[in-house]
Amino acid sequence: MNAMSPTPSKKYDLDFARWVYDNVDGGDRMALCMQCGTCSGSCPIGTQMDHGPRKLFMMIRAGMKEAVLTSNTIWNCVSCYNCVVRCPRQVPVTYILHDLATVAVREGYAQATESDNARFGKAFWWSAAKYGRTDERLVTAKYYFSFGFGEGYKKGMANLPIALGMIKTKRMHLGMPHKCKNTGELSKLLKKAAEMEAKKHG
Amino acid sequence: MTKTMSYYPGCSSQASAVHLDTSLRAAMGKLGVELKDIEDWNCCGASVGHIEGGHMGMFALNGRNLAAAQAQGGENLVTPCAACYLNTHYHNEKIREDARIKADVNECLAEIGKSYDGGLHVRHACEVIVNDIGVDKVKEAVTKPLTGLKVAGWVGCQTVRPFAKTERGGMYDTYDDPQFLDDFITACGATAVEFKGKTKCCGGSVSVMSPDKTLHLMKDILDEAKAAGAEVITTPCPLCQTNLEMYQPEINKKFGTDFNIPVVFYSQLMAVAFGLDAQKDAGLHQHLIPAEQVVTRAK
Ligand code: SF4
Ligand code: SF4
Repeated sequence: MNAMSPTPSKKYDLDFARWVYDNVDGGDRMALCMQCGTCSGSCPIGTQMDHGPRKLFMMIRAGMKEAVLTSNTIWNCVSCYNCVVRCPRQVPVTYILHDLATVAVREGYAQATESDNARFGKAFWWSAAKYGRTDERLVTAKYYFSFGFGEGYKKGMANLPIALGMIKTKRMHLGMPHKCKNTGELSKLLKKAAEMEAKKHG
Repeated sequence: MTKTMSYYPGCSSQASAVHLDTSLRAAMGKLGVELKDIEDWNCCGASVGHIEGGHMGMFALNGRNLAAAQAQGGENLVTPCAACYLNTHYHNEKIREDARIKADVNECLAEIGKSYDGGLHVRHACEVIVNDIGVDKVKEAVTKPLTGLKVAGWVGCQTVRPFAKTERGGMYDTYDDPQFLDDFITACGATAVEFKGKTKCCGGSVSVMSPDKTLHLMKDILDEAKAAGAEVITTPCPLCQTNLEMYQPEINKKFGTDFNIPVVFYSQLMAVAFGLDAQKDAGLHQHLIPAEQVVTRAK
């Protein structure tokens, strides 16, 4: 349990399904999915997903690890929890998608690590861990420039009217980031958490 | 008598949603609740923290806040932010219900000399108003009713999903057709229009990072508000407010529309209706799309 997910040499590898049941948050409930499609039908962004959650779960059962972890389903989910509250089998769909996203990045699939979400997630975590707070300015800037200088500049300029509006209305401050008083304590805590997490995934 | 509750304002309270923080503290003061900040609180991880931080990272962030809240006494942790509520609530429940997780989180917290037993109740500020204070008390506090103001009550997603109907979430409303926001609007003397977009999602953090994927979701909400004849949209969620307000020019550009609808927090409506200062207490000067209607209607 808890190791890296199996790497299938074949297209269909049932070990992946078992691994998801055992290791993904809510994976055990996914075993109860009856393929009714309520989740996909409730999804506001389903038309922009490679596969809706229902189909993704069937693909997990079929052991299609690579297709699952490279699909945009896990990135286009907007975390609205419609699926979670409507699923007749109480499958925590959103949590499963979130966890699969973490797995896809951890295991280095390019479609995952290069996704907008992974770039944004990285910038976000940097701020949360360093300052204990999300600095909306720095997170956005770091995210934009993760695409390279030229692209970052372009995105920044496109967003300039909004940023100026936020500064004018005092919803974006100038100067040092807001932060926790005890950032040393927070780093110590997160270092320990990272160690424990790494141990789990061996 | 004033009741004090531990308060977790969340990161947006110091930035894009500073006007939620200001107006909520002011309105709650009038409703007899003093919000006492959790000592040295940190970010909850929102809806993207898990990507880099993983399970334990998210448990560590939320565990530290919960431990600090418990250490300062009381049995509640109140937050006004949809994402803070969802994360704090979710991790709290896991710590309470799963002995192995509780042990892991406490092993982690022990590193900084803290501990947490899962005993707190995590509450959304709106739920506190519904269940502890009561909508009738909101009505009693109104001195300047917002008569005639047509408001679309936009609850959004995470304020009610997935916890509004769970016992631990306070049993304050339904997932698909929540009433509390319309009740708040009516209590303030305004008119809650029949609004079909009530619990539609703005795209959350995906809208922040890749708005091209989600502008149509926000357009849909604005269409519904317009069709319902709303002059103003009100929401409890910091990210909903920012997204729906700041993207209206982009939406107009992409879809050839001409939206210019103010989006305000319910707590701003309350602050004004309670006779408090429109700027200092309600933060109504902090909008990209000004909401003078709220002030001019208050009589
Ligand atoms: S709603 Fe639940 S049971 Fe139905 S397909 Fe989706 S996950 Fe499966
Ligand atoms: S939480 Fe994600 S998968 Fe579920 S309905 Fe919302 S967008 Fe779709």
